[in-house]
Amino acid sequence: MKLASRELESTIPTASMADIAFLLIIFFMLTMTFEVDKTKVQLPQTNLRYEIPKKAAYVAIDVQGQIKVSNGEELSASVGNADDVLSFAATVIATDPNKEFVIKADGNVDYAEVDAVMDALKRAKVKLIYLLSDAATQG
Amino acid sequence: MKIERDPVDDEIPTSSMADIAFLLIIYFMVTTTFAATRGLDFALPEEDDNPPVVEKEDSVLIEIQPSGELVVDQKPMQLSEIIPYLEPKLVNNPKKPVIIRPDPISPYKYMVSVLDELRQATDKSTQITEDIRISVPTQREIEALWF
Repeated sequence: MKLASRELESTIPTASMADIAFLLIIFFMLTMTFEVDKTKVQLPQTNLRYEIPKKAAYVAIDVQGQIKVSNGEELSASVGNADDVLSFAATVIATDPNKEFVIKADGNVDYAEVDAVMDALKRAKVKLIYLLSDAATQG
Repeated sequence: MKIERDPVDDEIPTSSMADIAFLLIIYFMVTTTFAATRGLDFALPEEDDNPPVVEKEDSVLIEIQPSGELVVDQKPMQLSEIIPYLEPKLVNNPKKPVIIRPDPISPYKYMVSVLDELRQATDKSTQITEDIRISVPTQREIEALWF
């Protein structure tokens, strides 16, 4: 008796591939943290660099001394001077007393500008600030 | 004569769907700019109406000149010389405060590099076991307390 050999199925099932890919897209979209501040600065370099908590508030100072603030959720907005930083920080601290603040300042900006911002944050009773930095190239 | 018809294909072609989706993934990955999310942490001292009085003589004062040169206790010094200079003082008294006082017109990056150097003291020296008590008084505090 001769056995009728069955014809082998030779296609790879690709119907679910699109589902997998869209799942990946959605996963990446949800886990992506949005950059709240887009100020272009030349950050100072440090050897020690610690992870900054997500949702930390930002104070950006560009090389001209322009100050921008963000509460960590909305895009940063320009403010006039350090007194505005104080009132902004006080509002943020009123809702979350342990909110971390990030100072994103250009390495070449005069220290007086950073000093005024730090003083404002101190007066607003901010507990922890982070000085945003790039990795040091040497060593 | 009867015309022979092809059977109508009633399926939606989905084989290219995966290609489209992967193309989208790659597009988003390429256009995403990574936010810098690392930096030096710096705990601000609690604002105190009666701050502990630190005698100027007890502390080490690091001044930063506008050109970036460092003057430690009135002596000019290189960045790498600070830790060896502090080492005997801190072995004697681990709680000795170190004050960084940048000139208002000195670039901010010099203050950050001094802070970075001091924070690495326990890694760079075998004799310094405790984190250095660093304080960076603001101009307002200096004016209020020192003068």
